[in-house]
Amino acid sequence: MRRICGVETEYGIQVDGVDNMDVVVESMELIRCYLHQDFVAIWNYALENPRLDMRGFEVDELRDDVDETLHLQKDRQRQIPLKDLKSDLIIHNGARLYNDHTHPEFSTPECYGLHDLVAVDRAGEQILLQCAKERTATRGEGVVRLYKNNTDFEGHSYGCHENFLLSREIPFQQVIDGLLPFVVTRQIFAGAGKVGVEQDSRASAATYQLAQRADFFEVIASVDTMHRRPLVNTRDEPHADADRYRRLHLIIGDANMCEYATALKVGSAALAIDLLEAGELPTCELADPIGALKEISRDESRHWTVVLAAGRTSSALEIQTDIMMAAQRLFKGRDKETDWILDEWRGTLEALARDPQELIGRLDWVTKKWLLDAFAESEGLDWEKPADRTWLQSQDLEYHNIDPAEGLYSMLEQQGQVERIVTEEDVLRAMVDPPRDTRAYFRGTSLQKFSNEVRSLNWDSIEFSVGGGSRVVDLKGCVDEQTAAYYNEALDAATSVEDLLQRLAVASGQPPETGGAQ
Amino acid sequence: MSDFIDYRDRAPRPTKPIDDGGGESDEGPRRPKVEKPSTDDILKRMKKVDPNQARRYRQRTGQ
Repeated sequence: MRRICGVETEYGIQVDGVDNMDVVVESMELIRCYLHQDFVAIWNYALENPRLDMRGFEVDELRDDVDETLHLQKDRQRQIPLKDLKSDLIIHNGARLYNDHTHPEFSTPECYGLHDLVAVDRAGEQILLQCAKERTATRGEGVVRLYKNNTDFEGHSYGCHENFLLSREIPFQQVIDGLLPFVVTRQIFAGAGKVGVEQDSRASAATYQLAQRADFFEVIASVDTMHRRPLVNTRDEPHADADRYRRLHLIIGDANMCEYATALKVGSAALAIDLLEAGELPTCELADPIGALKEISRDESRHWTVVLAAGRTSSALEIQTDIMMAAQRLFKGRDKETDWILDEWRGTLEALARDPQELIGRLDWVTKKWLLDAFAESEGLDWEKPADRTWLQSQDLEYHNIDPAEGLYSMLEQQGQVERIVTEEDVLRAMVDPPRDTRAYFRGTSLQKFSNEVRSLNWDSIEFSVGGGSRVVDLKGCVDEQTAAYYNEALDAATSVEDLLQRLAVASGQPPETGGAQ
Repeated sequence: MSDFIDYRDRAPRPTKPIDDGGGESDEGPRRPKVEKPSTDDILKRMKKVDPNQARRYRQRTGQ
């Protein structure tokens, strides 16, 4: 697989043993526990505009749900500057660590391959776990717990977003139409599983769903992410040359505990995008994509039937199989990682058709359901009884607790009962080292090598202090392997920021891509 | 970190696979059936989970 991608995960935060926890302060302070010195705001927000829509317009403001609007009114009275609230950090592995709407968020650095991506996704868990333990130690009372999930079971969801760089040549409506069937049906292997139904009084509360997030989507496409969530987010922030690239911001996925599920979720999406760019993505039009998303998630018969716009029925398995087979025809043998995705995608779909329990330890919704059924049986619980169901929801939550001393998934992992994609050594390395083959290396290594000279930065630029002024290295063009390699090698060889800027200038035959002295 | 390592050689399987005579075929790879993992220890941990943990767990809407 050779496509730039990354995953942003918002974690749930809880302080047990404390009444009236202030989640705004708690999330901010938790992020700062990563630091060994005072927080200094260096994230550059100037190039961010989440209101810009890929369909060619800009909205006045992003919308919030009713609850959040009330919370935000109170937040504005806090007198805490936004930069302090967010506490944006870029860390040495090239990742962004910050407080996003009261949720500690770890955004992986840009990765080309699944191995790097899975390793750094797990590294994010370890980094945040360290922060939680530090915060527990410093706050004096209570235990800070973090959950890599997407719901509080009471209608509040937070995201796990995937990002993929793709060509701008494909009209955006074509991107939406092409990928909708894929993203609606992918939950049959990518869902994290959830006890109960939120925001829909018609559905049975006892339902065990495939996906944590399916209840929360209301429209097909929108620039909003917190209100009337869309299947395809239209935010136009490519973090690259906007004339050549789009950033596909998929907000529909669940946060996965199983490494295998993370790899298959992202890997299959990357191949679907490859097919889209090649003009070979199998097409079908769903009669009601939003309805299908929820029905598939809640279908405990596991038939996963969908109605197509043409009137006939199909199934999530058939749609996924069509896309997977098209990818087989086009991409088999391209590289080892692509072959891994193709083999496992195929094997997973076949196992889902035979018996999903073959996928215990690989897929979260299957693994969690197996645990919950075993627990319900041992305790004589009834899924239909509210009190019993609450206990099952508590088990659901604890599956996602990232503390290995408490989390249920973690215990399975310690027992060797889940399939690993990376080693512990890979994870430890990814906590510190950025992926070697993307601009994340340039970002992370700049911080390691020239921390005193980094004045500000964001995904696609770094501003260095130089000779009483500053120079900005623009990284928008640094999204192909050749350019990234060149920048990264120049940084490795540089003995100073001045030397780095000179090396970049010499190779390009012109002054470095900078914003000039300021 | 960037070097690709063949996952199949590295990943521990949940349990020892039972050969069902499947393997590679014209229909594509078939996954061997696996035994269900043991639940004894984890059920003990699950029993310690506060039944009301999910009820206390309240979050604000994120993205």
